[in-house]
Amino acid sequence: MGRWWTILPLLWLACTPEPTDPAAFAAILYPADNPSTAAGVALGERLFFDPILSADSTISCASCHQPGRAFSDGLPLSIGIDGLAGNRNTPGLTNVGYYHLPLFWDGRATNLEEQALHPVGTAHEMGGSWPEVIGHLSGTEDYPHWFLEAFGTSDIDSTLVGRALAQYQRTLVSRDSKYDRVLRGEASYTSAEALGHALFFDLGDDPGGDHAGLPTAECAHCHTPPHFTNQRFENNGLDEAPDLDAFPDAGRGAVSGNPFDNGKFRTPGLRNVALTAPYMHDGRFATLEEVIDHYDSGGRYAENRSANVHALGLSPGQKAALVAFLHTLTDTSFVGSRQDFRRRRAGAGSE
Amino acid sequence: MKNLLLFLLLPLLLTTGCLDDDDQLDPLREGELALAYRAEYGGQPLDIQRKVYGYPTGDSLKVLLFQYYVSDLELLPADGGESIRLEEIDLIRRRSAAGDPTVERTYLVPAGDYRGLRFGLGVKPELNAMNPSKFAANYVLNEAEFWGPTTRYVFAKIEANAMLEDDGRFDTGLSYHMGSDALYTTVTLDRRFTVGSGRTPRLTVVADVLKALSGNGETFDITAPGKQTVHGGNQDVAVGIWNRLATQFALRVE
Repeated sequence: MGRWWTILPLLWLACTPEPTDPAAFAAILYPADNPSTAAGVALGERLFFDPILSADSTISCASCHQPGRAFSDGLPLSIGIDGLAGNRNTPGLTNVGYYHLPLFWDGRATNLEEQALHPVGTAHEMGGSWPEVIGHLSGTEDYPHWFLEAFGTSDIDSTLVGRALAQYQRTLVSRDSKYDRVLRGEASYTSAEALGHALFFDLGDDPGGDHAGLPTAECAHCHTPPHFTNQRFENNGLDEAPDLDAFPDAGRGAVSGNPFDNGKFRTPGLRNVALTAPYMHDGRFATLEEVIDHYDSGGRYAENRSANVHALGLSPGQKAALVAFLHTLTDTSFVGSRQDFRRRRAGAGSE
Repeated sequence: MKNLLLFLLLPLLLTTGCLDDDDQLDPLREGELALAYRAEYGGQPLDIQRKVYGYPTGDSLKVLLFQYYVSDLELLPADGGESIRLEEIDLIRRRSAAGDPTVERTYLVPAGDYRGLRFGLGVKPELNAMNPSKFAANYVLNEAEFWGPTTRYVFAKIEANAMLEDDGRFDTGLSYHMGSDALYTTVTLDRRFTVGSGRTPRLTVVADVLKALSGNGETFDITAPGKQTVHGGNQDVAVGIWNRLATQFALRVE
């Protein structure tokens, strides 16, 4: 009791708001039943890169979600076991841990834990079944031990696999793109990037501003910072649909059962977008230039097309500027650090 | 003895030392109040996407989105006493063709007689100046309703697809995004009601999209290309919509 005042700093600390990172995003929402731990993240990382999750041990999560491509695969449609093509483009995973609304292009998974369960049993992805996968994992020398470390039990089940994979994916954080550094005052845009920034954020709307008269590209209504997605579902005018049943891929509508959701897909985040070509849910656009051309055209008709998708009237220089701005969302440190892990794993395997 | 006193006071310090100004220690909540936000078009329940609505210019449209922020929602005691805050910030959003046109809220409030309620239409200036990253990712101020990367919220949105030629195609997008500190407007709705003594009143705040677009003898011309998109800096174009939106709210008590 003689040094009672020593508690005062603790009181002060308890009453001080949590420190904030000036470049940070709203904090990741960690599920109460799956808090991240070092052991859980390490286990998730091993599982992510291990083809043991597929029926014939040829396909891992990283087969499609390749670190060097910001966790996408460079293909229009994902290719799974036995070379089977899927029906959707592999999305990148940059900052996926910050997303708290339904995942997949059609929103069929409510969170990362649930999302991670889907590919194992999907015929054109990993092509197996959870009983088989659990059997394989339980039969190894190491995985029961790693699950024990991570979750306090060596009784492996799909829920724990999903939790571990989710914990790993919540570490895929990018916050050092040129865009971030400009926001922090550590870098400056080139003139083309600055023009692209103005177009992206509709700065031309302001009649008294520096960009008065500039067209507006209407990007940020859906690709809203800081993760450049509003996490919602939109019809961005990819397919002509005289009626709502005419879409070649119903997208969100197939999940919700609501025909007015047909042709809508989840707005993808744009961080590292320059690394994740080709684009759209079916990979129909090979380059960012094609994407910009699509939006500049106003897209194709459907009555549920977003009201923010309309002809833009961009000049060639303005289109190029938008592409230049999109390249500022590339975070090479994010990509590099994840590649290091792959090399480390490869090195360990060769010893 | 002095140290013992400090020891006894420490729990009190620990439990009260971190209170914010907004914390209420003794709310005396005694009655339940059901508050509904109802969206309408021309006096009828708003059906997102499903229904074709006529417009005074002779055109027709389908509404895709109608939403607005509400700040400092307060009950006004009939005796002129201090207002009772129900909510600091809320987002009332209608965007799904599957949903009900009414958004429901329930509050526990002090029993008594009230003369109405009051709220700010939009995000009040002190919140409008804050970086969204300071809030939880699933907080109402992190709903991706931002003008820019760090500050300023879009206070209200009306989005629709209009058919301007009689060709069956709703192919003209209408997108009205509004909000700025200058536009922030206090709305007061006078209607007497009583909470308590076995009474659980149901209040309904009604907002009519058509009245926001066309009312008070003025109709926003959706056929003019320059008036089909209002985003960010061109707020002057939509100031009429905002003013009509702010003045058309009605309060029903059941």
